[in-house]
Amino acid sequence: MSEDNGPLVVVDGEIDLAVAPSLRERLETLLAAGHSTLYLDLLDATFLDSTALGVLVTVREQCQRAGGALHLIVTEPRILKVLEITGLATAFPLHGSRPDLAGTDQGDETTRHE
Amino acid sequence: MKRLDMSDRDDRGGGRPEVIALSFPARADLVALARFTAASVGARAGFDVEEIEDLRLAVDELVVSFEAVQAGGTIHLRYTHDAGTVTIECTVEPGLRSHPSEGIAGGELWGGDGELSRQLLDALVDEHGREQRQGRPCVWLRKHRANASA
Repeated sequence: MSEDNGPLVVVDGEIDLAVAPSLRERLETLLAAGHSTLYLDLLDATFLDSTALGVLVTVREQCQRAGGALHLIVTEPRILKVLEITGLATAFPLHGSRPDLAGTDQGDETTRHE
Repeated sequence: MKRLDMSDRDDRGGGRPEVIALSFPARADLVALARFTAASVGARAGFDVEEIEDLRLAVDELVVSFEAVQAGGTIHLRYTHDAGTVTIECTVEPGLRSHPSEGIAGGELWGGDGELSRQLLDALVDEHGREQRQGRPCVWLRKHRANASA
């Protein structure tokens, strides 16, 4: 995946109405900075609702318009179930672990929500 | 949170429905209260872990489905469990401001993506709907325990 390397955003805990706006802002800031491919690490996320899904769909479209993609790193069965129910499991490149992120500043791109 | 009223503490199988009422200000950071209460009610109704997780997500979808939530408004939830069936009803008491999302953290996302929400509710619960009650919109869901007697 090295040719697709982009910034990594890490979110943990419950991604809901309270968290979705800040997640959208963070991802759109990275897009505005010129990144067209983003990685969203959901390995420690435990909950994802339709407001968060809506953000992911919007950002995915923005990435695609810029020639890139929004990659999701997810193994949590609950979140995979939400993606499958809504037919979005095939809409995102899904990964079971973090890609090689050499050259990215993971610390700066990390957004945490407990 | 304004009120958590467990009006009937009979455990499951006690013969009478158990009703829990929860009201809280319409703030995004308080929606987790609805999920927490749903988990407790689901456990008391004998739901397994998977069913409880379904119920948590479903009640979240109920609450965020209101497009007309106003700052200063109040979310009212009524949880009823009876013989392995949980029913949750959600209404909103309007606030005073004129713009639907004014002053609410996350308010611009309140109302969510209606289609995604509908897909999730279709998959997670047995029945759900929206209707007018006493002049206000009410969204509701019903979920049966998998091994509940009919």
